[in-house]
Amino acid sequence: MTFKSALDIDCGIRYMFETLDIMSPCGRKMLLASQMMQTKRELDFHYRRLNEIYDKDCTQIAAKLMCLKDVQTTIGRLEAGVVLDDIELFEIKYLSIVSGEVRELLEQQRIVAVGLPELDAVVQILDPDSLNIPSFYVYDSYSDELRNIRKQMRALQGNGEELPDEKRAELAVLLQKNADLELEIRGDLSGRLQSYASDLALALRNLSFLDILIAKAAQMKKMGLCFPVVVEEGETFYNGMFNPAVKAVLAEAGREFHPVDIAFERDPITIIGANMGGKSVVLKSLALNQLLAQFGFGVAAHDCCVNLVDEVALCIGDEQSIVKGVSSFAGEIMAIDAVIRKIREGRSLLALIDEPARTTNPVEGTALVEGLLDVIGQVRGGFVLTTHYNILNDKVKRYRVKGLVNGVMDYTLQQTHCGEVPHEAIAIAESLGIDPQWIECTKKNLNN
Amino acid sequence: MPFIKEILKYDSLSIVGLEKNVGKTECLNYILYRLPLHQKKVAVTSIGIDGENKDQVTSTKKPEIFLREGMYFSTAEAHYKERRLVSELVEITDERSSLGRIVTAKVSVGGKALISGPSSGVSLRRWVAGVQKFGIGLTIIDGAISRLSSASPAISKAMVLSTGAAFSSNINTLVQKTKFVVEMIGLPKLEDDSRDTLCDIESGVWGVDFEGNIIDFKLTSALALSSLKTDITAGMKLIYTVGALTDKLLNLVADSRNVKEVTLVVKDFTKIFVGEQAYRIFCARGGKIKVLQKSKLVAVCVNPTAPNGYVLDSDILCEKLQDALGLPVYDIVKNNYDI
Repeated sequence: MTFKSALDIDCGIRYMFETLDIMSPCGRKMLLASQMMQTKRELDFHYRRLNEIYDKDCTQIAAKLMCLKDVQTTIGRLEAGVVLDDIELFEIKYLSIVSGEVRELLEQQRIVAVGLPELDAVVQILDPDSLNIPSFYVYDSYSDELRNIRKQMRALQGNGEELPDEKRAELAVLLQKNADLELEIRGDLSGRLQSYASDLALALRNLSFLDILIAKAAQMKKMGLCFPVVVEEGETFYNGMFNPAVKAVLAEAGREFHPVDIAFERDPITIIGANMGGKSVVLKSLALNQLLAQFGFGVAAHDCCVNLVDEVALCIGDEQSIVKGVSSFAGEIMAIDAVIRKIREGRSLLALIDEPARTTNPVEGTALVEGLLDVIGQVRGGFVLTTHYNILNDKVKRYRVKGLVNGVMDYTLQQTHCGEVPHEAIAIAESLGIDPQWIECTKKNLNN
Repeated sequence: MPFIKEILKYDSLSIVGLEKNVGKTECLNYILYRLPLHQKKVAVTSIGIDGENKDQVTSTKKPEIFLREGMYFSTAEAHYKERRLVSELVEITDERSSLGRIVTAKVSVGGKALISGPSSGVSLRRWVAGVQKFGIGLTIIDGAISRLSSASPAISKAMVLSTGAAFSSNINTLVQKTKFVVEMIGLPKLEDDSRDTLCDIESGVWGVDFEGNIIDFKLTSALALSSLKTDITAGMKLIYTVGALTDKLLNLVADSRNVKEVTLVVKDFTKIFVGEQAYRIFCARGGKIKVLQKSKLVAVCVNPTAPNGYVLDSDILCEKLQDALGLPVYDIVKNNYDI
């Protein structure tokens, strides 16, 4: 799975991407195309590099990366032996200068997480007057003949006065000669630069990667994210897990996010609890943090250990599709069916299912959820569902949202051993200030 | 020629034609030719395609833009490759046009080039800010017809207006139409305590009452006026529309009982889209319009020749315009002015 496709998972990952301050378009492009990492080796290496950047002050480097342009196509053309035009040669020179400056800053800071090739020779080729400024044209100093022609052009041209016909013809000849000579020189320059194409490509790649690392480190500090411990087999746990997207929305309303603790291994997990108790947010946060950990971001928790999976399946909300002619129940059941298939295929999958079978009658609904838990058994990666039904299966680890305490919602997740769901729906409806007559009748019916 | 000296007093200039073929490019060349480059570094761009040999619409011959040694210019990649001058590329900007990225270069051997820069107001503002790093003392934007936005004081502080027979072949109509535009450019600037607050508002229609309270009429724009149930002019000193000022809002104020007390405020003259007749009725009833930001109209240039071959008498035209506008009017082609 690429990062780009992960953005479609509605768990707050898009918010993380949008708040990530990647300076360059090529950095952004690289991140979007990056694959989810699936081995501990790969991730440990990545986090080691991120850790190194995290400890350093990279503001100066970030400022340089702001100027980085995506010149991949130009490098490709250079490698293929095409004669580059002025704009492309400018791009090559510019990249080499930026790379050289960042290289120096990396050395000063003793950062080894990212290495950059030396491109001084490229700059020298494109800067014959050693001006060391990021600009380019076919300089006069490349050829005396060129210098001479331009001198004549200048003399003829003046300030742009109307020229008599014969002078205009003369000027046209000079312009043509100038263009021919420039082409010849650009051909020669492109030839000399060709052998540096792979170094240039490496520089662009590593600068983009450095840009991503700096942005990730900055985001970690800004949001209070942690470095995860990753394992290929074993328990996943989060202490103080949160969801930055939800946290931001709450902060805007002047409210605080209540972090939760959760742990699971192969046994399925059920989360029960009051409406508005944050059950769905827990599922979304689990999906988000799994993705963050496997794409090498900081994880939204105080500390955590993440078991690597091949895939994250988040079934949340209404799968109803009028276009496909599928009701909300059918849509949901089919989505869960796909998850079961994948589990049967032995894939390691983090499956997160919000209130399965909620859109049908509670008798069959309960049976369907119990059946689901029976059929999936143990899941490599993890299986978490939320429900309002009384689920009596064994071999299920149960969590319960603490719920209303003195009229205030306590979002803490508590481990519990009974499947009995809390009865707080009416109290919560009341706290929302809905029609009192409705509440009264409901209570009367319940007592009967 | 006094108006070059006048231009040098400002750090940004736009040249706007009221119609195609009113001699805007000649006017630009005239200015570029005479600017003393040792005094100020100059950067030029255009919001349309400029400097092409032939007019894209009417196929009439057009003069080309001549850029002098030391000038900076910004144009689309495709046009940069076709330049007939020697220039040093100094920046590839993040702006894009349909002809590719916009690049900025410094002329090393003078010559002609096609100029087609950023086209939206926002990107032009970014362009003006962006070229400052090269120590530019004067930015010149060549505007296009029906896109007065480039002349917005938010982008350029001074402007030169081009008008001519292409705008109307009847001298009286031409004078009258031009006068109306010049009148709009010359609308007085609002002097009120609420001005700074109004400048920061980004959308909608707002009022300021006599106590200085600022009231949001909850209208997304002046176009949503039909949804109004109350008289918004009641008790108001100012009515400010951030977007376009249309006939509808103007008529609403003109028809209200408070037309004499209330002043209509717009961001700048480029936001005014009212017909002359509606404006005259509004004024006759005692209505006033003021602007938050004002451009300085440096000069008016005329081209007495229309693309269909019709030629007006240059002297009479200049004289009549000058009388009507109270501003210097120049026929650049006819009179080969000196500095």
